[in-house]
Amino acid sequence: MSQPSVSVTGLGKSYRLPHRGAGQFRAHLKEFFGLMVDENDVFWALREIDLELAPGDIIGILGKNGSGKSTFLKLLSGVTAPTTGRAVLRGRIGSLLEVGAGFHPDLTGRENILMNGSLLGMAQQEIRSRLDEIIDFAGIEPFIDVPVKRYSSGMYVRLAYAVASHLDTDILILDEVLAVGDAEFRMKSLDNMERIARGGRTILFVSHSPQSVTNLCSTGMVLSAGRQVFLGSAREASTHYMQLVHRIGETGSTDIAQMPALVDIREREGFDRARPEPVLTSIETLRMDGTSTRQFRTGEGMRIRIGYRTTLMPAPYFTVFFLDTNGNRVMTLYSTHSSHLASIRDRGFVECVIPELRIYGEEFSIMVECGLISRQLESVDCVPNATNVRIELDDYLGAAGLVSNQGVVAQRSAWAIV
Amino acid sequence: MSEIVLPTDANADRHLQETIVESTHGWGLGLVQVWQYRELLRVLLWRGLAVRYRQMALGVLWMILEPLAQIGIMFVIFGLVLRLPSEGFPYPLFVFSGLVPFLLFRKALDSSADCLRENMGLISKVYFPRLLLPISAVVRDAVDVTVNLLVLILLSLTYGYIPGPAVLLLPFVMLIPILAAMGIGLWTASLLVRLRDLRHLIGIGVQILMYGSPIIYSPAQVPAALMPYYQLNPIYWSIAFFRWALLGRELIITPQFYISLALVIALSISGLFIFNRFERMSVDVQ
Repeated sequence: MSQPSVSVTGLGKSYRLPHRGAGQFRAHLKEFFGLMVDENDVFWALREIDLELAPGDIIGILGKNGSGKSTFLKLLSGVTAPTTGRAVLRGRIGSLLEVGAGFHPDLTGRENILMNGSLLGMAQQEIRSRLDEIIDFAGIEPFIDVPVKRYSSGMYVRLAYAVASHLDTDILILDEVLAVGDAEFRMKSLDNMERIARGGRTILFVSHSPQSVTNLCSTGMVLSAGRQVFLGSAREASTHYMQLVHRIGETGSTDIAQMPALVDIREREGFDRARPEPVLTSIETLRMDGTSTRQFRTGEGMRIRIGYRTTLMPAPYFTVFFLDTNGNRVMTLYSTHSSHLASIRDRGFVECVIPELRIYGEEFSIMVECGLISRQLESVDCVPNATNVRIELDDYLGAAGLVSNQGVVAQRSAWAIV
Repeated sequence: MSEIVLPTDANADRHLQETIVESTHGWGLGLVQVWQYRELLRVLLWRGLAVRYRQMALGVLWMILEPLAQIGIMFVIFGLVLRLPSEGFPYPLFVFSGLVPFLLFRKALDSSADCLRENMGLISKVYFPRLLLPISAVVRDAVDVTVNLLVLILLSLTYGYIPGPAVLLLPFVMLIPILAAMGIGLWTASLLVRLRDLRHLIGIGVQILMYGSPIIYSPAQVPAALMPYYQLNPIYWSIAFFRWALLGRELIITPQFYISLALVIALSISGLFIFNRFERMSVDVQ
């Protein structure tokens, strides 16, 4: 049994908040010398993280913005020091916390490769021996002797990733790198990461995409508000993250059918950002006859009435997402599917009518979003898990129905021997 | 603690280095790490020079023209109008030989004090010994000033001063302003990230030092009673050595020279300690 390549125990990082208390100068002194520390001034960006990784492990770190993902990687890569705890990393470490960090706009692609490689811990000789490989991977041969300030952002990013992924290090720390480049390049990067890990190297990477974590990683960790809320298999971590993002399961175990169908969502937290001026105020699910309920049957209709409050939205759109309990999107209804809505102002309601429900399940979480149609759709307000409903299959597919685990779509079908 | 060996054949017998991340930070000088990362130091230095001299002709030209313009102004005001005595040497030559070591001090102080702030984008994303930044910046400044020194030597030749072998000592003399500037720069670099006001304070200090050093006037004009203190200034000594090597001016070494040298060394060593202790915080407080 080999030693772990990364072992983290009780790792934590706190920052002192400078804004409180009297006087700028005193605040500066506090920060620098740790004088007069007041517990209220301390903000924990990361707290009590424990983790052990073996050589060859790929761990995906999931978490919302501000959950401490990047802080965690910064601590491991040595950019900043932890406040508590300890981490031991065995082997050479390469880190890519930001694509193209250390690139100099005035230097050519080739020069930046040499420069960046040694910043990331490679010996000049190693870089030179891999230069062709790197240039080829980035796919920018014709421009390699052009200053990178003339590169398109795609070329820039490909070059940066190419350098980092050719690092011959035992531990590779990557932050959000898969978000870059076009689909083809992303595929190439994924293949490359798998190849790296098969070579016995350990990869830690932060992602917003549970999908790439599931596809790529053996292990997953979910962070929320600086704490480690889940550590386990990548698949479970992704599910956990989806539930966290969509706030599924926060309502508890009460029978949803018993809960009032009209929900005030003014005070709810936003999906990916705060809601200083909530536009979405309420949501209500109704039967076609106008009965307010959370209990539906497949085949019957549903009306979703969304309350809004706004000064003026000239070309609004609304979206309703149905999610299963794992946070997977089952169905999405855009107001732009039918026709454009007229401008809205002050207070009012928008209603989305589903003539015939085709899905079934014990519980669906409904996320609601609204925004403006400009050149593209620009989200203004979004409330995850605004409400949840139960849709029973009942006799939509006849008396036999379906046993469990047969999907979420109820599709009628006619059968005959032909 | 036993070390592990990866099973892959490429890494067959490579021992893995262990990196420990924890909150305690030592009081080391950090020179060992600089040595370990010497290749990166070379690359950083090359980057600094390449970027500066990329627009070649003009870059170098300005570097020469700027001090020449300053000398021209000083010559007109202090040499022609105010007629400050220059110990019998041509005034432009007198000023230039004083200005070069001072220029080195000023540049090195600016760049070492600002090194963390200027490279924040880099140091908040990549780890490497931060000490590489002031070192590479200061070496780059030394290269710049060497270009000025060559112009100075040319100017001396046109005035008929043929520098002797003492000129070969000048690189060592240049270490005095470099170390003095780096000492102060290292002390202030971490603070400067947050307290940018310090920048102005440094500017004022540099201005005072300029007039407190015998650049535009002869040290003979300083009252004798003040001389023991006046000579504690390391820039005084760098200028004295420059004029001795280039113009053949008499050089009298007093005990103040050794005191001032000791001060410079103490300043740079303590600066290393301080820099090492506090640079890690700069990323958090930026």
